[in-house]
Amino acid sequence: MTVLAIAAASLKRMLRDRVATFFMVLLPLVVILVIGATAGGPAVPRVGVVAAPGPLAADLVRTLGGTEGMRTSTFDREQDARDALRRGEVEAVLLIPAGFDTLLASDGSAELPLLTAAPTGNAQSAWQAVSAGVARHAAAVQAAGFAATTAGGTLSARLPLARTLETTLPRVTVRSEPVDGTGSSLPAGFGSSAPTMLVLFVFVNSLAAGAALVQTRKLGIHTRVLAAPVPARTIVLGESLCYLGLALLQSALIITAGALLFGVSWGDPLAAAVLTVVWAIVGTGAGMFGGTLFRTQEQASALGPTIGVAFGMLGGCMWPLEIVPDAVRALGHLTPHAWAVDAWTALLARGGGLAGILPMLGVLAGFAVLLLTAASLRLNRSLTT
Amino acid sequence: MRAAFVIAAKDLRQRARDRSAWLLGFVAPVAIAGLISFAFGGTETFHTDVAVVDQDHGVLAQAFTGFLNSPELAAVLTVSPVADPADARARVDRGDFGAAIVIPAGFSAAAHGGPVHPLTVVTTVDSQLAGQVTRSVAGSFTAQLDADRLAVATAIAAGAPPDGLAARAAALRLPEQVVRTPSGTRTITGVGYYGPAMGMFFTFFAIGFTARGYFLEQRDGTLDRIAVAPVGPLAVLAGKSLATFAYSAASLGTVSLITSLVFGADWGPPAAVAVLVAAVALSVVCLTAFVIAVSRTERQADELSAILAFGLVLLGGNFVFLGAAPEFLRVLALGTPNGWALRAFTDLAGGAGGTAVVVPVLAILAFCAVLTTIAGLLHRRAVRR
Repeated sequence: MTVLAIAAASLKRMLRDRVATFFMVLLPLVVILVIGATAGGPAVPRVGVVAAPGPLAADLVRTLGGTEGMRTSTFDREQDARDALRRGEVEAVLLIPAGFDTLLASDGSAELPLLTAAPTGNAQSAWQAVSAGVARHAAAVQAAGFAATTAGGTLSARLPLARTLETTLPRVTVRSEPVDGTGSSLPAGFGSSAPTMLVLFVFVNSLAAGAALVQTRKLGIHTRVLAAPVPARTIVLGESLCYLGLALLQSALIITAGALLFGVSWGDPLAAAVLTVVWAIVGTGAGMFGGTLFRTQEQASALGPTIGVAFGMLGGCMWPLEIVPDAVRALGHLTPHAWAVDAWTALLARGGGLAGILPMLGVLAGFAVLLLTAASLRLNRSLTT
Repeated sequence: MRAAFVIAAKDLRQRARDRSAWLLGFVAPVAIAGLISFAFGGTETFHTDVAVVDQDHGVLAQAFTGFLNSPELAAVLTVSPVADPADARARVDRGDFGAAIVIPAGFSAAAHGGPVHPLTVVTTVDSQLAGQVTRSVAGSFTAQLDADRLAVATAIAAGAPPDGLAARAAALRLPEQVVRTPSGTRTITGVGYYGPAMGMFFTFFAIGFTARGYFLEQRDGTLDRIAVAPVGPLAVLAGKSLATFAYSAASLGTVSLITSLVFGADWGPPAAVAVLVAAVALSVVCLTAFVIAVSRTERQADELSAILAFGLVLLGGNFVFLGAAPEFLRVLALGTPNGWALRAFTDLAGGAGGTAVVVPVLAILAFCAVLTTIAGLLHRRAVRR
């Protein structure tokens, strides 16, 4: 009973802190929204097209807009398109020359400069997709010219025939065949940002809440409680329960908001619940350990989020570990975050169940035991000496 | 004026004795930028291994594999022949190949007016970009093929004798050619973007330090004792602003210097970078003045500065790569001083000239002017009370 009273008192004090409410409620949701919206678009390159006057140029813009494998946006000024390319808003810029229509009509050929910033995958993909779109557009003009050469007549006279045949001639298509329906990355958009931010924020907020333990010590609350017939281990248990309650509240909020606001599917309910509780215990251990380690509230506020964010980056909360070098991936698995993200990936990307995440849960439980033991010993020692 | 310098020096000395200030202003941003540089080192150039299964063995299949092995695609693809489609699928699934292309039997018949068979690109969700690039490359080839087939069909429909038409069409050059052209921009690397982004994020912690320090001095009577001395309130204001400015500029400047020298980040022309750093430092001063003017207690100042700092960095794009974000997030970012600064830092890192900072700096100055006016009005009202 005393344990519950201590836990409830500490939890109430933490929840009355408006900044804590901001960090626990508003900030995770906004971060999930921002990251989910940024990473949620289809994985096709974006191409800026600088338009030129004339019906053929306009037709090319339309053809490119309907070409598979890229998204186009039209710019009136070349400089605006170049700025967008520099800022990474598009992967490539196609410049349709000012005299495009005239060039095609006169000697029948036009060169279209494609600007790219770097040989990234999206830039390479953009180059090929643009080439395909331009080839589709040029096909009728080429066909009309070829017909005029081989059968007589003029290009413009043969163009209507070529246009008609273009619509009826079957095309050689490219079809995709995924080898499997599952993968080793979380689904794009909110399906990725919600679980990773759950991992990040439960840990960061637990660490930041270490400041409350520092304050409790500073205010002499533990000393006064010890003056009553309450053993030190009861205080340790009560504080642990408070941190666990905080972590579970934070998790419940992100899971509920993720499902209701962002339509995130959290996978197998039992496995997701066990993972959430185990991660909350890891957060509890980290928060309490931080609370016994930090000497001042300022230290806790400065170090807590920094360590939390750094661990989150290493552990794959900010970007998937599949895209980093092997050494970085191995380093990331020294943090509990990587194991938690791996477990969420197994649940959400591969549709796994409890059995599938047992190895990750085992490692996380190890982290939890280690952190909780260290924190309890330190807190117990500070109370009894 | 001397009094202002004395106050500024005193504040900076106090700040220098605070390890949290060193950690947040200098260590944390450099460490996070280093982590990002470490994580993304060498992943910014795209290349993938592709398996090709030739079930056709015809002239068109040879032309296609020749296209895949062409020098212009050598930097993008490494092509390996695989005999069996099932083997290719299994190896894509295992991650040995980013994608595989299956050329179906009878593919070459399409060149001579025969039935068309689709190319199959085997993809995996674990290498989506490789699948995307491979589809685009295959699409580019089939577009050229379709153009040639259309030329033959149009010529025959126009009355040309069919003999030798296919061979002549294969030698055609499309009248619209995409020519890859260097854009003159530099690629924004991970550290190039997140160096300034994280630098600004941690610089914003100075708002909380300074505001809290102000209220602590008010509570301890330090401000009253200064007021007794022959020092005007303007000198106090100037001194405190100068200290905040110097700390913020030193913090961001150090991040710039270390990420350039150690991690190879290119921030752009030093003079333009220095102007931007100064503008960001000025915005920190104005934000601090605003927090002090709005708050009544140390706790309120703490809360407001934390919410303001995190709100601004979230909106300003410091946590996500704004280039990949939807348009509305990019527009929202321009409502913040850090959003403008980040745009300018991105432009400079992307190879823009020093003049690229003019508009962003003016926008930051306008933001500062508005904030200072509000802070001044609030302060005047508080004094009247």
